[in-house]
Amino acid sequence: MQIAEIDLSKYSNQYSSYTELRVHENRLLNIALLNGDIVSNMQNTNGGVSARVFDKGAWGFSSNPNATNDSIETTIQAATRNAEFLAKRSGDPDITLPRSQASASSDSNTQKPRKTQDEIIAFLKGIDVYVGDHCPDIVSRQVVLNCLDMEKKLQTSEGSSGHNTNSRSIVSVKLTTRNEAGEPIELSQAIGDRGQFEDVFETPERIHAAVDEMYKHLMNKKTAVKPVSGYHDVILASDLAGILAHEAIGHTTEADIVREGSIAGDYLGEQIASELITLVDFANSHNGEILPMPIYMDDEGVESHDAILIEDGVLKSFMHNKDSAQHFNMPLTGNARAFSYTDEPLIRMRNTAILPGKDKLEDMIASIDDGYLLMRPTNGQADTTSEFMFGVQMGYEIKGGKLGKAITDTTISGVAFDMLKEVTMLSDEMVWGCAGMCGKKQPMPVGMGGPAVKTKVFIGGE
Amino acid sequence: MTNKDIALETLAQIGKAGFSDASARVIAEEFHELQAENGAINLMRTNFETDVGITGIKDQKKASLSVNKTDDDTLAKTVANLSDMARGASPDDAYGIAEKQPVETFDAGPVEPDYDRMYDRIVEVQDYAKQKYPDLNIGSVAITFGNRRSVYVNSNDVQFESRRGVYRVSTMFTSKRGKQTSSMNYFNYSAYDLDTPVQDMVNADALMRQSTEQIDTSNIPGKFSGDMIITPNALGSFVGFLTGKISDGALISGTSVYKDKLGESVTSDKLNLRACPVAEGVSSGYWVTGDGYKAENSTIVENGVLKSYLLGLYGANKTGLPRAMNAGGCYQIDEGETDLEALIGGVEQGILIGRFSGGNPNDRGDFSGIAKNSYYVKDGKIQFPIKETTVSGNMVSLLNSIKAVSKERLNFGGSVLPWVLTDGVTAS
Repeated sequence: MQIAEIDLSKYSNQYSSYTELRVHENRLLNIALLNGDIVSNMQNTNGGVSARVFDKGAWGFSSNPNATNDSIETTIQAATRNAEFLAKRSGDPDITLPRSQASASSDSNTQKPRKTQDEIIAFLKGIDVYVGDHCPDIVSRQVVLNCLDMEKKLQTSEGSSGHNTNSRSIVSVKLTTRNEAGEPIELSQAIGDRGQFEDVFETPERIHAAVDEMYKHLMNKKTAVKPVSGYHDVILASDLAGILAHEAIGHTTEADIVREGSIAGDYLGEQIASELITLVDFANSHNGEILPMPIYMDDEGVESHDAILIEDGVLKSFMHNKDSAQHFNMPLTGNARAFSYTDEPLIRMRNTAILPGKDKLEDMIASIDDGYLLMRPTNGQADTTSEFMFGVQMGYEIKGGKLGKAITDTTISGVAFDMLKEVTMLSDEMVWGCAGMCGKKQPMPVGMGGPAVKTKVFIGGE
Repeated sequence: MTNKDIALETLAQIGKAGFSDASARVIAEEFHELQAENGAINLMRTNFETDVGITGIKDQKKASLSVNKTDDDTLAKTVANLSDMARGASPDDAYGIAEKQPVETFDAGPVEPDYDRMYDRIVEVQDYAKQKYPDLNIGSVAITFGNRRSVYVNSNDVQFESRRGVYRVSTMFTSKRGKQTSSMNYFNYSAYDLDTPVQDMVNADALMRQSTEQIDTSNIPGKFSGDMIITPNALGSFVGFLTGKISDGALISGTSVYKDKLGESVTSDKLNLRACPVAEGVSSGYWVTGDGYKAENSTIVENGVLKSYLLGLYGANKTGLPRAMNAGGCYQIDEGETDLEALIGGVEQGILIGRFSGGNPNDRGDFSGIAKNSYYVKDGKIQFPIKETTVSGNMVSLLNSIKAVSKERLNFGGSVLPWVLTDGVTAS
């Protein structure tokens, strides 16, 4: 049975306390070409029903891959039994969750005719041929497509209901060449957006343009110099600003992380950053634009609101689910999301960004006498202390206000709550990335964005 | 229908759809979890999970699909979809399925969870930490039990059935005093039983104690090039470079630094690395590879010499090199000849690294990252926990510079790893 056809409201008489009932299906398409050979050609469909029940401070959860009438009923019963088991052993009758009632529906399904697998593979082969024709000095190429649809229907005992589908389609390209010493030099990039394949990749031009740009940087990287280890003036391009917003600051302001001891817990209402910095976790849209991961109602049936985390440098608030909003006595923000039908909702970011400033990128570069332009991350990690680390796979020296030689792969690090105080310029461009996959207990697609940021960071190296 | 019936029926349907080579895998798992957050057990979970994975090769074109339903209608649609997917694919002579092997069944671990024991072990470790380390907050501790039944069949008459019941324990913790916060840390392991208290497993007590010490950290005296003692908890980050570069992707693309190195010395002769998915007591292992071969333990590096790549069937066919005896993972490094105390005692200046937070090494092996939950070592003694310290070097060089391996090892249920002393690392 299709999710749209399932009526969850008819089970409301089976709720004995606060209950969330969710039918949820993830559909993934993965096709990978390595030097022209198809090394992956797979689809995965994973879905079912889950129920989560709250009783005296304890949660019971259960899930079943079959969303039939019988299995939905037994899933509610199992979750209820689990909550009762814990409530009897360690329940606290004084804990009550904040109430919410919302409804939302959104549909990311394309209105265009769906492409066949043949057509999608032909599209990717076309990209592969383009890479072969336009990047003559490479020794290896990878073209990988990942398309994800997440469809959820939710009903809660407080009357929230919704049916929402989020989709995104990403093509990742990796190019490898060799330098004069015969060592491999690589560069990779993800290109894509929210929406299904037909809407995101109507034509290949945007991928061609990205490949051309990548190849130019890769050729520069063949003669790259090692960056000098130490603290430097840098410009973090928007890709890095986005991951900074998400990893280094965003996670420290998730209220469950705050409860676990995050440094942000001690600085609410205090100036923690330059006055230039305003950082927001947007629910679904900004300036009239729908963002990469639009969430209108979360998986606890809470209407999603923008969470203004830092405003003019002052730490203003945290992101919440019902548990944390109850604990901190703060308003709900609608940040609770689950990745799979087998997962409980956790506090997750949606579209996290530093807002742009008024500077021009060329002026920012011109303002640095000896530093670096850092352009593209590989991965990033952060800590409860706000200490962060990002891998950087592409960047350039800045000497005398002008771009110099490309630099080799490196790592940058710092303490975000210190580093943000060093921000002196923000570009006027806002760039969103759609390929982020956060890894906090469960994977979760997220959007992140920002302008170019001038600050100081520690660059690793010999 | 049993899972085996479903697998065989699905395989028959793939055959009828015109695929010359086909495989089907059916997995059913009952999953139970108790989870505590910030001192309170607040989640109990019971999941029933199913996964059906099918692969078909027709005219040397290959496609794979997985769904988590086993009803007739879903499976019929899935097989039809497989045909559509294969039609658009490119032929490749390297595609194949496992050859005929004897029918076998495998079984290990308990069938049912002991919820009382799960509950009590969580309460016990929380009480232990609260009493012994008042500044420590175990943000989360979860004990899960999964009972997984799996069937693999293919059109070469391969039939494997298996069942494994295993507990998994995971924790995450931070220490805090006033406004000072330690770096977060964690430990995970798996086991067939919960006979041993959590705080007595995988160096847990030491990690919790160190967390409270790491509230107050200091900078290293200055940039230096010296030794690094890699703890078992951090060792996976470093061994992962080698195992990744001897696997399908890197060897097929030709970008691996270990290309054409089989039989040659690639690390210090003090390193013996094995992949042991079917070793005695390995609770996170596997009996059957994704390609449908019965897994065997294998030696990857012996006395520094590369003995085996980690190629799957496709990678082996593509490169003309031997297929690995397993699909990797469950890594074990042989115990060395040096007591941990003596190993630390031999360090003139260096870093004891508890957790590595780093960027992915590039294809050459250059790495750089932050030494988390780590200590400065000087004149053979651990001096103080460090902050904001970057370590950098090259993975190939690092593995070639191993000076000593400890006698002591930690058993994580899948991997069994020692402390390793290496040099040539820059700390700044």
